[in-house]
Amino acid sequence: MSAVIELAPGASENGLAIMLADLLKQNLEDHPHKVRDFEKLNGSVAIVAEDALVALTLEFQRGKLVLHDGIYGIPLITVRASSDDVMNMSLMELTKRFALPDPRGPINRQVFESMKAGRIHSYGALLHIPFMLRLTRVMSVN
Amino acid sequence: MTHKFPSAEWTAAYKDALNNNAAYREAGKGWTHGAVGMVVKADPTIGLATDQAMYLDVNAGECREAKWVSRAEAETAPFVIVGDYARWKDVITGKDDPIKAMMQGKLKLTKGHLPTIIRYVESSRQLVKSASDVATTFVI
Repeated sequence: MSAVIELAPGASENGLAIMLADLLKQNLEDHPHKVRDFEKLNGSVAIVAEDALVALTLEFQRGKLVLHDGIYGIPLITVRASSDDVMNMSLMELTKRFALPDPRGPINRQVFESMKAGRIHSYGALLHIPFMLRLTRVMSVN
Repeated sequence: MTHKFPSAEWTAAYKDALNNNAAYREAGKGWTHGAVGMVVKADPTIGLATDQAMYLDVNAGECREAKWVSRAEAETAPFVIVGDYARWKDVITGKDDPIKAMMQGKLKLTKGHLPTIIRYVESSRQLVKSASDVATTFVI
């Protein structure tokens, strides 16, 4: 099964949605083993880049992803962060074994610092840890 | 001396600004992924009858060549970023961050491997920030 990634009507003017759609397509092409995680994702994640005043929702449907402009439906997880931190989330370092976020990675440390300092707010992540870990693996370019 | 943006003279001054930017040299030292084309979209109301573009041959933190070219030639670069005049002006003057501008759809990566750009996000930022070191005259 190959990954299907598409923009919902109205999302083609949302720069972040276009970027994340391209990023995920190219990332899954570069790292085909991530398709397995992609196919298991089922549910929505909203991302708000607060300083850029841009929001989008990633609606995962087990092998298909639809990107919506703004907040769509009731997301399992909502992340509010600066555009820099949103970018950093795509750069999170993964451990070789189990592909979990590597606490020693410099980008991960920046992300954790931003969380501690309240610059990244994530709602629902602790209730959906397996989903969040899969999402991190799929989103990370590493 | 100020240079009109966009022009061949501005492009030459931009190459010097890039090569004088220590932060770019450091952030871009791992970049070996090819040239970058920057396209300013045509806007006859401000005197830009056709799309205008720059071709930047950047490698390992150095700008080896910067040319003022047609859009078609700029699009031979592996990476192409497109925006209208006002957006480029905002980025060049530092009013807008290039990555934020891309998220807002003001600048678009129309060609190139986005994960590579994201790995070199600071390099991309410094690439554009160097433009603010060029004394520039804008047409609007």
